[in-house]
Amino acid sequence: MSDVLVIILACGAVNYILRVVPFVFTIGEDLPPYLKRFLDYMPIAALGALILPGIITSFPDNPAAGIAGAAAAALTAWIAGGLILPVFASIGTAWVVLQYFH
Amino acid sequence: MKTENRNKSFNDFVSGAGSAVPIFIGYFTTSVAFGILALSAGLTPLQAVIFSMTNLTGAAQFMAINLIGSGAVMGEIVVSVLLMNLRYFIMSASLARKLGLNNNIDKAVISFAVTDEVFSVASLKPGDVSNFFMYGLQITSWAGWAAGTLAGVTMGAFLPRSLQDAMSGALFALFAALLVPEIKKGYRAAFISVSAGLLNTLLYYVWHISAGWSIVISMLVITAGAAAVFREDENSGDQSVEEAV
Repeated sequence: MSDVLVIILACGAVNYILRVVPFVFTIGEDLPPYLKRFLDYMPIAALGALILPGIITSFPDNPAAGIAGAAAAALTAWIAGGLILPVFASIGTAWVVLQYFH
Repeated sequence: MKTENRNKSFNDFVSGAGSAVPIFIGYFTTSVAFGILALSAGLTPLQAVIFSMTNLTGAAQFMAINLIGSGAVMGEIVVSVLLMNLRYFIMSASLARKLGLNNNIDKAVISFAVTDEVFSVASLKPGDVSNFFMYGLQITSWAGWAAGTLAGVTMGAFLPRSLQDAMSGALFALFAALLVPEIKKGYRAAFISVSAGLLNTLLYYVWHISAGWSIVISMLVITAGAAAVFREDENSGDQSVEEAV
């Protein structure tokens, strides 16, 4: 088995454990407010850490392409919502920057 | 009597599948993006499809392929996914209570496909939610996610070279698009995400911590801090009113 496949299956195992344990054991539903906020904020912090600094290095030879692409995606998401349209907007913008600005 | 039960099971299944149609569409389109981006991160088409079929999770899958692409080790990736998806634990706890399943096979299968969207539909449905409703809802959702990745890796194979090059940054665009609706809800998300991004930049460039662990540390530190700091706001301001209700 390739390393990547092992990683994929390990992630699958983690996701399944998170989901199945509360079905097997009874877990109290009333969480302390701090823990509730902690869980709410975690994905948001994750997204921030995923965007910076990765966006700057996504095009090592032309960082502007990555920044312009993500800006186009954010703008599209703000106006139109969804995910697939912003992704296409970013690919188009990055393509233009790579073709004409270097 | 037996026929009646079978009819009810069938009707519940169809009703669940019907409720999942919007989820199917949303999952399919997002998963097309996952398939395309997984290829540009270096996964094979088969690996990408297996990923979607076995994990059925949104942002964490995109995070994982980003880390795989940047050469992170398994520990970094698994811990990042665990932290990002801790919420499933809470959703499952709430759903387990609502469904009240007795059969172990039902528990094992239904828990596999607890997602944000499945959780929302099942939780908001008034009255009892049967196991067959869940099967209809979840199989349809899962099919959308798996089929989308399959379509994405198929499309990705035919894209011209210059367009593939332009896709190196698409993953970050997707993260931005996932973040925008959160930021629209209030300043907290903007503050939390920017802080986590800045801390991650600092950890990576100044202290030279590997990409995966610096993301893990940034997530934990900023989330722990924000959950403590924003407490005061609950007693004042507009947001507190909504949260208090």
